Amino acid sequence: MVKDLDKAIAQLRACRPIPEAQVRELCHKARELLIEEGNVVTVTAPVTICGDIHGQFHDLMELFRVGGDVPDTNYLFMGDFVDRGFYSLESFLLLLCLKVRYPDRMTLIRGNHESRQITTVYGFYDECLRKYGSANVWRYCCEVFDYLALGAIVLGASSNLQPASETSTGTQSKNNVTSTREYNEADIEIEVLNAEGDILHRFPRKKGQANNVIQRSPNKSSSPVKTGPPGSGASGSSGGSVGNSSGAVLCVHGGLSPLIDTVDKIRLLDRKQEVPHEGAMCDLLWSDPDEIEGWGLSPRGAGFLFGADIVTTFNHNNDLSMIARAHQLVMEGFKEMFDNSIVTVWSAPNYCYRCGNVAAILELGEDGGVENLRSNGDAGRSNGASSVLAFRDKERVPGPARRYRVFQAAPQDSRGMPAKKPVADYFL
Amino acid sequence: MSAPHIPNLLSMSRGGGGLRGRRGRGGPRLPPAAEGHSDASSRFHDKAIQGTDSDAAVSRYSAVSLGYLDDQFAQYFVNGQATRRLPIINRGTYTRTTALDTLVDAFISCPKSSPQTPTRQIISLGAGTDTRYFRLRAQNKHHNILYHEFDFPTVIASKFRIIDSNKSVLLGDETLFEKAPSPADHGAETIPEWGLERNIDGQKESRYICHPLDLRDLTKTASLGSFDGLRCGIPTLIISECCLCYLNVNVAHDVIKWFADHIPDLGIALYEPIGTEDSFGQMMVSNLAARGVVMPTVREYKTLGDQRERLSQLGFGDGQEAKDVERVWQEWVSAEEKERVDGLEGLDEVEEWVMLAKHYGLVWGWRGVGFECWKGLSG
Ligand SMILES: C[S@@+](CC[C@H](N)C(=O)[O-])C[C@H]1O[C@@H](n2cnc3c(N)ncnc32)[C@H](O)[C@@H]1O
Repeated sequence: MVKDLDKAIAQLRACRPIPEAQVRELCHKARELLIEEGNVVTVTAPVTICGDIHGQFHDLMELFRVGGDVPDTNYLFMGDFVDRGFYSLESFLLLLCLKVRYPDRMTLIRGNHESRQITTVYGFYDECLRKYGSANVWRYCCEVFDYLALGAIVLGASSNLQPASETSTGTQSKNNVTSTREYNEADIEIEVLNAEGDILHRFPRKKGQANNVIQRSPNKSSSPVKTGPPGSGASGSSGGSVGNSSGAVLCVHGGLSPLIDTVDKIRLLDRKQEVPHEGAMCDLLWSDPDEIEGWGLSPRGAGFLFGADIVTTFNHNNDLSMIARAHQLVMEGFKEMFDNSIVTVWSAPNYCYRCGNVAAILELGEDGGVENLRSNGDAGRSNGASSVLAFRDKERVPGPARRYRVFQAAPQDSRGMPAKKPVADYFL
Repeated sequence: MSAPHIPNLLSMSRGGGGLRGRRGRGGPRLPPAAEGHSDASSRFHDKAIQGTDSDAAVSRYSAVSLGYLDDQFAQYFVNGQATRRLPIINRGTYTRTTALDTLVDAFISCPKSSPQTPTRQIISLGAGTDTRYFRLRAQNKHHNILYHEFDFPTVIASKFRIIDSNKSVLLGDETLFEKAPSPADHGAETIPEWGLERNIDGQKESRYICHPLDLRDLTKTASLGSFDGLRCGIPTLIISECCLCYLNVNVAHDVIKWFADHIPDLGIALYEPIGTEDSFGQMMVSNLAARGVVMPTVREYKTLGDQRERLSQLGFGDGQEAKDVERVWQEWVSAEEKERVDGLEGLDEVEEWVMLAKHYGLVWGWRGVGFECWKGLSG
């Protein structure tokens, strides 16, 4: 079984589809696993949070190179694995294989493209038909989509930045907390690294405030807080002994819903179905934050727009320090909004081979104070976030320290993988 | 937490790329530029440019078959299998067509200034397989206009074949004619001018004429008289829907100037890419270059302001206006129409749409009589 899985993983890593019978079996196993997960999965830091992938297989490989391989790195993917790119099939199946192989190191939640209707318009259906000659594989995958969790809660993320590890073995040696950096990383709230781990920007946490506000775009090179020569990373690894616990982070693909005021209400939804055209489940997968007050109509025709006040209230009522979501293309790979209370993470570089954007992943370090809560079941159910944070004053829990790794599109025609010359559509 | 055993393809392929390096995907291999070089390279370039027309035709048919546009003729101009374009492309095709239709409709509905017919002339540069004339005819708006199309001989010839083999739908009450090539043309594999003519007061009159010509050779043509039916005495609208952008800046300038030198009452409507300074624009330039499609004017006229200035310098002194396609969608498409179009497929890719649509501009300018109806259209 494990041997077969490893074989399938190797084959998919080479961007070669696996036989239909094997897909069926994989999807079956995945469903057995996913059915045990609650609508909101509890994940313990450290975790690396990723946004949309959209079938950009070569870029997914680049993501693993930059973020670390599975199972060394604990990943949380916030949906939209398929559509638009040319390798939705290979990308999704690889992620699914990794999920089945390393269930505790891989969390997949559903995006609005994980839907029968959307995949028939945006490419995944056609791709399956082209690669297998029938829609069977598409159908198996859609059945898995119906079982994907709707969100995740990250617990135990540290409010202090821990040294970025650049170990050459790719494994973490625990309790080795020797940092060679001269600066005090504990003061850093946000760090932005490039694909090679060089520091691009650092933003210290403002004293006396849970979160500070970044006025300028973190990727503009205007006077960043840059310390230490590029590459002068710590040789140690994320130790568990430093840091304070931060508030919990809710991860969803799209955003909030006017029908949902607590995380527990998400847990009560019946998720095992096609994404509906409206209602709470639809909103979680479709909504976007926007510079408005309250709720607004979405130009996408599904979900809603929601303003800073909505996020503030929701986070406060649910003891969240932050919401992480994907869904919207952001040219710099990530974008924090509303006084850092919500972040968009986008992981498809040069989206659709056309947009010229960079991608990012978000690493949350571990605080060390929380036992590994990750389970397939409902650990933390109903009292999930609040039990850990009950001692905190209700004003505002500190946000986790965030390390963003920014990366570009990978060249397609290498690594021995089949590549189709990307042809982006323009108006000619 | 990087995974060192996974090779870094970016650094392997181009010796270490900074964050802001522009060429993802290993960097497209740029074809040689189009000017001053070997025949082979310019033939490659010309083929690629002519190929853009099939691309436009496929996009048009996609938008038509999904209900964005009403155009019963589009289907005849695509060959091979119909391709369904993505919603943002369909919406863009819809908006672009609407943009030009708005200008054309306003132009042809201006009250006429003289008793002679036709009262208006339209010259479509690089018309390709455009169906605008047929649509105007189907809407009965064609009676007072004289419609010209220019394109490469191969494109003009294939358009003839399409009409010839779909006469029953494409001819309407008109007949197809071919003009004998002038003796001066012999030798080369010449393609004749051709057009459609109809009976007007017992006389055969041609009101739709196609001219095979590499526009880069236009200025070598001494007079207006070298083109069948071309007039200089009536208000004339030049349309360049993604055509002049493929010419070198000075050549494109000279082409417009040539018409401006001959026709006093003249307006122009340009639709072309803009804004190649940002990373989306850079990617557009390099993606298209990889297909052999180079757009020199985009580099010269970076903003809508530059484009207006361009028209002003060319003598369109009575007005120059411009807006990007995103604004055309916002401002020229009515609320009901927006709702109808949105309902066709839905549009998930909102950010992408805005970005794409901001990279195309509609620019128009005029001088002389015949453009009174353009004054109400805001830029
Ligand atoms: C992108 S297509 C647009 C076709 C049509 N205007 C439309 O919008 O559907 C560009 C057209 O310009 C024509 N074109 C480009 N350069 C030309 C030149 N130098 N002389 C004549 N036609 C040219 C091409 O052959 C092609 O048909």
